[in-house]
Parts: sequence; structure tokens; C-alpha cells
Amino acid sequence: MKKKLTALLLAGSMVLSLAACGGGGSSKEEGDSSETASLSVTTTFAGEDGNAQNYKNAIAEFEEKEGIKVNDSSATSDETFKARVETDFQTGSEPDVLFFFSGADANSFIEEGKVVSIDTIREEYPDYASNMNDDLIAASLVDGEKYAVPVNGYWEGLFCNTAVLEAAGVEVPGADYTWEQFLADCEKIKEAGYAPIAASLGEIPHYWWEYSIFNHTSTETHLEVPASTDEGNGPGWVEGMEDIKELYEKGYFPENTLSAKDDETFAMFTSDKAAFLIDGSWKVGGIAAACQSDPEDPSTLDTDKLDNFTVTYVPTNGEREATDLIGGLSMGYYISAKAWEDESKREAAVKFVEYMTSDEKVALFAQHTASALKEAPEVNEEDFNSLQIKSIKMMADVTSLTGAVQDVFSDECRVSTFDGMPQIVTGEVSAKDAVQEGLEIYAEQNAE
Amino acid sequence: MGANIYKNKKPLVLFLVPALIFMTVFLYYPFVQNILNSFQQISSLGAANKGWNDPWYENYIKMFQDKHMRTALFNTVVMMAVTIIGQVGVAIVLAVLVDNIKKGAKFFRTVYFFPIVISATALGLMFNLIFLYDKGMINQLLEMFGKSSLTDWKDSSHALFIMMLPVMWQYVGFYFVILVTGLNNISEELYESASIDGATKWQKVRFITLPLLRNVICTCVVLAVTGALKVFDLPWVMFPKGMPLGKTWLTGTYMYYQTFNTKNVDYSSAIAVLIVVLGIITSKVVNKVFKEADY
Amino acid sequence: MKKTKFSGCTVLIYIILSFWALTTIYPIVWIIQNSFKAKDQILADSFSLPLGNVFTLSNYKTAFERLDIFSAYRNSIVISTTVAAVVILLAGFAAFALVRYYFKGKGALQSLIIAGMMFPVFSTIIPVFRMLNSWGMVNTENLWLSLLSVALPQIAGNLSFAIVVLSGYIKSLPIELEEAAYLEGCNAVQIFFKVIMPLAKPSFATVAIFSFLWSYNDLFTQMFLLRLPEQRAITRLLNELTSMEGTNYGLMAAAVALVVIPVIVVYIILQKHIIKGMTAGAVKG
Repeated sequence: MKKKLTALLLAGSMVLSLAACGGGGSSKEEGDSSETASLSVTTTFAGEDGNAQNYKNAIAEFEEKEGIKVNDSSATSDETFKARVETDFQTGSEPDVLFFFSGADANSFIEEGKVVSIDTIREEYPDYASNMNDDLIAASLVDGEKYAVPVNGYWEGLFCNTAVLEAAGVEVPGADYTWEQFLADCEKIKEAGYAPIAASLGEIPHYWWEYSIFNHTSTETHLEVPASTDEGNGPGWVEGMEDIKELYEKGYFPENTLSAKDDETFAMFTSDKAAFLIDGSWKVGGIAAACQSDPEDPSTLDTDKLDNFTVTYVPTNGEREATDLIGGLSMGYYISAKAWEDESKREAAVKFVEYMTSDEKVALFAQHTASALKEAPEVNEEDFNSLQIKSIKMMADVTSLTGAVQDVFSDECRVSTFDGMPQIVTGEVSAKDAVQEGLEIYAEQNAE
Repeated sequence: MGANIYKNKKPLVLFLVPALIFMTVFLYYPFVQNILNSFQQISSLGAANKGWNDPWYENYIKMFQDKHMRTALFNTVVMMAVTIIGQVGVAIVLAVLVDNIKKGAKFFRTVYFFPIVISATALGLMFNLIFLYDKGMINQLLEMFGKSSLTDWKDSSHALFIMMLPVMWQYVGFYFVILVTGLNNISEELYESASIDGATKWQKVRFITLPLLRNVICTCVVLAVTGALKVFDLPWVMFPKGMPLGKTWLTGTYMYYQTFNTKNVDYSSAIAVLIVVLGIITSKVVNKVFKEADY
Repeated sequence: MKKTKFSGCTVLIYIILSFWALTTIYPIVWIIQNSFKAKDQILADSFSLPLGNVFTLSNYKTAFERLDIFSAYRNSIVISTTVAAVVILLAGFAAFALVRYYFKGKGALQSLIIAGMMFPVFSTIIPVFRMLNSWGMVNTENLWLSLLSVALPQIAGNLSFAIVVLSGYIKSLPIELEEAAYLEGCNAVQIFFKVIMPLAKPSFATVAIFSFLWSYNDLFTQMFLLRLPEQRAITRLLNELTSMEGTNYGLMAAAVALVVIPVIVVYIILQKHIIKGMTAGAVKG
């Protein structure tokens, strides 16, 4: 008994003593911060995000320059994070500045009026976000107003393993790549013993879903969700799903595409077993890392290996041109109404956002992806690896960037066609039924 | 009996109240909120409710009609059997064996604890790599032994088994530790006097160890079946979204899915209520089965 | 004492035990060896040792850059030790009362406690968060308030399990000792501390280690309540692993290795209390 009591007492006193030190420390801090202003910020630049380090550096520079303390609660963007942000807004503990999605995920707090629109900010600060091209700033789905100032964007394209293409006798696709050419190429690649397309239909059918639909809509109408499979883009959606089914039946996806994880199929691509990969601009870093002996250290890049990869336009079998890509700027900086109405925070918040969205910072964060800058600074080729340069060249000839319709098609709606993709391609569920189910849920949600 | 000591009920309050306060504030009150949620319309975790469901018991009807829910319930019942035999059963065997050896007992006790400590994500990754289609450890070993084609361990025919195996393996250590603690209570003298009477090791186990462990085994079985209703992290990492084709749903993973993926929080609240009710019922059943052990 | 015969039976027992031990040790070894490999090497070939070129410390370097590891350890240990200590005390009280006293509604209370074990953490987090927020414990700059805000719901969450295990154990304690203490003039509280606690020490140690472990590993609650860099716990490392591109397996292995060490240490310490032989004398009484 004595031992237990002593253990408990020890634990208790340890906690108390640490509390004493800590308490002393934190009250000192609080003393300081009541003199300097402080700003609470939440972003997604954390963890493995390519810009996490850039962000930390930028914050340190800002703190020194302006003398404002930044309380940073950034975290990797996952479902828990989104739940946390929403709960914060609900309970009144939201941050002053938030870097977050500008699509359906932001609906809940925009509807409640918890963030200020860019126009409102411009009434007080006319130069706010003046270095941005307004047309490229996303408008909220709730009321069409613009709230979030973008930094970096993304594009989705067709990555190719040229070593595999060469071995199969296939040319690297160009700006006028058609679906027929694509099918023919896949057949050749398959005969040469490689998997034509690296994709995990069971886990991440997202990019194929998007482009297959895009192939049957147009750049103007792509973002319109049809009311049913017979109206508007409806038939196009069904045809898109059937295209994927065709590819599956022809055996152009890996054998275990329905049960493999995305990491596995990606590894097939980087280890010269698969030829094509549709993915986003963020994958450039991943492909480069796969060619480095130390993935964390870019100086260990095997440039010869990286030269085997390129990125190009996506084959079309509809109205769109191969050079019309899916992409856009889906996240941005919000200022919360709570901070805006607090005189002491308003100025600080605006300064922070302007600092993080200056030409210089945006160029650093966006690199080879997209941005909304009116005047992008010059690109110094020496700072980039060969794949990034190829991406930049590809982007130069892009004819348009259209947003992804899946961003407006919420998770619930996606269940039948994303999670249900295996059922569609194996014929268990007809493409028409699956699409219809998703569209009905969408219609229900938007009827309110 | 010794009930005389405890006739005075006044200290009872002191003993029960602190724990009850904590549980009421942080568990029961929030869960009541959860029950209310199951009758309302809420889309994502953290969002405000958008009014009552129409009809208010809509989610409960949905549960009975939902094909995936049926799969989940069936799989979970299978999982319960697996945990009873595979986790508690194996743990009993190991605990009794360790109890009967002299050297190395401490080593085994330390080492059997390890799996529980490792996070589900890491374990999931490790098992994924073991069962990987292309270059996974098992397939590689089989190839070495001459098997020609690769087995897809995650396809429909193997998925359920492969999902339950790691879950089963991970928690053996947990029950092992609890059982070892219970074995302490059995006095040496009982074994000694049995030896003098000429009992073999096996007889000692059967007539002394197991009966005296009954209460502890009952606790373990209750924990195991309730655990089967709740488990989600390891199965989710290996078989997200009930892959393949929705065959591997468990009540725990399905509820997680409804909360975070389909953003249908009110439905997942209803599932949570179902899980709690099933938990209470199964634990009562288990307790009845073991009832004779009351001294 | 039992005779140590080198019989075939004993050999068989050792074989079975060793086999299982292999399966439990191997994952730890696997994680540690992979934590010294670059992330792409892991997917390519995860089962070989990192010798020569393959060996790298970069994963650990990254881990230390991402998180202030030492303050994270401190935070985790403070929270989890507090949780374990409070749980033992409160659950011990409650289990003792449930086993020895008879009162109306006892059955219902027991069901309620089992029910408490079933609640998944994400179904209770939002109301808990709201409550903590209204008490001003959320999103604060105060380190200790934040740590406390995590400890409170975790204590509640572990109480059910603790009560169930402790009741099971206390039920099987022979009542003679308590009667003896009573005859010496002890009241119920004294009986608890002088008789029950020492006798049930192995069970208390078991409950302590598991409460510590579950509180330690509860990333979900921590993500909601520990925001600022200096408040974060060591399991936060596990949140730093994924991005649009996929998971960084090298960092994951290093993170898991770092996270796992303190728990194993705590277990080894507490394990001494779970060994047989400590109670042998007391039962004779």
C-alpha cells in the first residue's frame, strides 16, 4: 500500500511541479502577448505538405517584421481536420485567419456569415488582393461571393513513363491526343507485357472519373451537375462511366486494380511496370522523390531516371481539346468575421493575408502549379528539376483550366460512383443506375 | 457472509460519486446528445443540425433496410466468435503455459505486450506489405516454395479472413496480461497439495486453474465481444470502405464511414446507438453464461 | 516448489511460447529497421535489413524537425500519467462499491457502465468540445489548461473499462481479510486502502498500464484540443505523415518507433507489479 501511495504522490507532485514551472512560464508569455498583438491562424501547410517548410519560414519572417505573434494551429488536411474547423466555427472558437478549401467544404461557415467577403474587405482596404486576377478567384457556392484569396493551385494531367512507352513502341502523346489513339497505344503497351494504366479503381478512381466525365461535357458546362441521367450533362456522365468500364474490360488497368491501394499502383508506375498515370500537380514531387536515393534530399536526384517521366495532355473523345485540363485554385485565405470585427485584430489579419499572398510568396508556394497572379515572376530554370520544367512548358500551352466537378459533388453524392466504381466496371451495377443515385442525392441536398 | 461490514451505506456515496460524475459529464451527457442527433439531420461532424428528420425515426428504418448494415452485423458476429476463440482462447493457453514454466516467464510476459502498443496505422501498413499482391512477404515465400501464380489476398474470397487475422493477433497480449494478473490470485498451496495427491500438470490446470479463473475469463469475454462491436482502426487501414465490394464491413468501420466519408452523421449516430444496445445485450448474455462462478 | 524436469512436455511448451514471441517481436524489429530506410525503399523491399547504402537517419532528422520531440514527450507523459492515476483511484472506489455493497439499481448501474465502454470517441467529441469551450479550456495559449482539457474526457473514457476489470478481480478476493480488518475497527475507506489496494495491486497495475496506453494513443481527441506547437503530444507525429501524394513510410516507421518507446518503458516498470508471488503471503492471513 505504501508503495502505491508513494507512487501516486510522486506522480501528483511531479505534475504539480511541472505545472508550477509551466505556470510560471506561461504567465510570463501572457504578460508579453498582452502588449504585442497576436493572431490565431490555421492552415493546411503542415506535415508532408510540400509547402510546410516554406510556410514556417514565412511565419517567422512575418513575426519579426511586424512584431505580431502568430499562434499557428495548422495541421494536415484530413477528415478530422475538417471536422475540427467546422466545430470551431460552430462553437465560436474559430481562428482569425484560415487557409481552407473554397468549395463545398466551406459552405457551412459561409452560410452562417462567419467569414468576410473580399469585397467587404476592399471597402476598408482597397488594395486587398489587388495582385490577383479576380476571374481566377473562386466564388463561393453559397452566394457567388468571393471569400478566399488563393495562393497555389493544381492541375491534373497525364503522366507518362517514357521508358515503358519506348519499350512498347509508343510515342509520347501530344497536344492533339485522341481517345482512339489512346486505346491503340494501350493495346500495344499491354501486348508488350506492361500495365497500360496505373490506377487503383478501388481506392482512388477520382481522376479517371473526372476526365471521363469531362470528355463528354464541355469547358463551359462541366461544372453543371445534371438533374438526372436524362437531362443536361446526364447522358455524358453515364457515357463517362462506361468509358472506364470499357478500359477495365479491355484489361488496361492493373490486374488487382479493384483491391490494390493507390500507393501500390503508383509504385508500379515509378518502377517501370506501367505507362500512364492520371494524377495531379502534387505528384511531381512524388515522382521526383521516387528517383532520389534520399527522398528528403533533392540533391540525391537521379536525373537520368527522372528524365524517363513526362507529363502531357489527356486524351479526348468529346468536345474538349486535349489541352483543356482540369485544374484551378481550390483553397485560399479567409478572414473570420470574428477577427474583422475586432479592431485590434483587423489590421493584423489583413497584413498577414497580404504578406502571404504577395507576388513573391505566391511564386514560392505555387512553383510549377497554378496561381491567380496577374503578373507571375520569371521562372529561373536552374531552380527546377526536369519534370517540373516539363510541367511548366505543358502549362504554357494549356488552353483552359476548368474546376473539378467532384469538388461540388459532395461526399454523400459520390458514394455510388466512387466507392461503387468496382461495381460499375464489373457490371454488377449499371452505370446509369449508379449515376442516377448520386444525382438524386445531389438534387435532394440542393433543394433546400 | 461478510455483508455485515458493508451494511452501512454511507461510504457508498463517496466511492461511487466521483467516477459517476466524470462519466456523466463526459460520456453520458454527450451520448444523449448523440441519441438526439440520430433523430435530426446533420451532414458533417461539427455542423449544426438542420432540423428533425422526417419521420423522426427515419434512420432506424434505414438501418434495417441497409444491405451494408446487414453485412456489417453478420461480419461482426463472426468477429465476436473469432475474438473469443482467437484472442481470449489463445491468451488463456499462453497464460497457463507461461504460468507453468520457470525460466523465461518474465521475458514472454514482456514481449507479448508489444503488438498492442503499436499504432493501428503502422500495423496496417505492415500487414498490407505482408499480404501485398506483388512482392508481398507471403507471396514471395510461396513463390520460393514453388507456387506459380500470385494470390490476391485482398479479393472477395480471402478478404474477411485476412482482415480478422491481424485484429485477432493484436489483442491477444491484452487478454494475456489480464489473465496473468488473475492467475496471481491462485495460491501456490492449492497446486502443492494437488501435487501431493498425485495430480498431473494437465489435471491441475483443468481442476484448479481454470475454475478459479472463471471470473477473469468472464471479464475477458465481455471485453472481447464488446471490442468486436467497436473495432475499426486496424480493419479500416487494411480494408478501407469495406473493400472489396462492401464485403468486409464491420459495425465499427461502417459507423466511421458514415461519419467521415458519406458525411451522414445522423445515420452514424443511429448506428452508434445500435452498437451500444448490442453491447449491453451481449455482455449480459456472457455474464449469464458464466454466472455459476459467483461465490 | 515444482520440479524442473526436462521433459518433452516442457520442450513443447517452450516451442509454442517462443513461436508466439517471434510473432510479437518481429513487428517491432520490422518497424525499427524500416525507420532507417528511405521511404521508397520500404515499399520496394520492406523485409530486409538496412545495410550499407540503404541506411539513413533522414527519417529521424525529419521527425525532430517537424515536432519538438522532448516537449511532446513531456506533454504525453503528463497527460497519460494523470489519466492513469486518476482512473485507478476513481475506478477502484467504484469497483469496490459495486462488488461489496448491495443497493437498489445496482444492476442498472452495471449496465450503464458497460454502455459507457461502447461509446466511440468521435460520437462524444463534439458535445465534449462544446463544453470544454464554454469553460474556456479550448484554443488557449495556456499549456496546462490544454493538457487538462485532454485528460478529462480521457479519464471518463477509461473509467468503464477500469471498473469492469477491477470489479472482476475484486470479486474474487476472499472476504476474510476485510472481515479481519473490520474487526480491528477499520471503516470502509480504511479497508479499501489497507486491504483491497495492496491485494489488488496486480489488477491496478494492469488497469494503469492500459489507461496510460489508450490515453497516450488517442490522437483524435488530441487533434481537437492540442493546437499550438508547444502543446502537442508525441502521437501528433503520426498526423504528419500523409499528403496529397500519399504516405511517407520512412517517416511513419521512425514516428512509430519514437512513439512506442516510452510506453514499452512504462510497461516494463509496471510489469514488476504484475508478477506472481507478491500476494502469496497475504492470502494466508
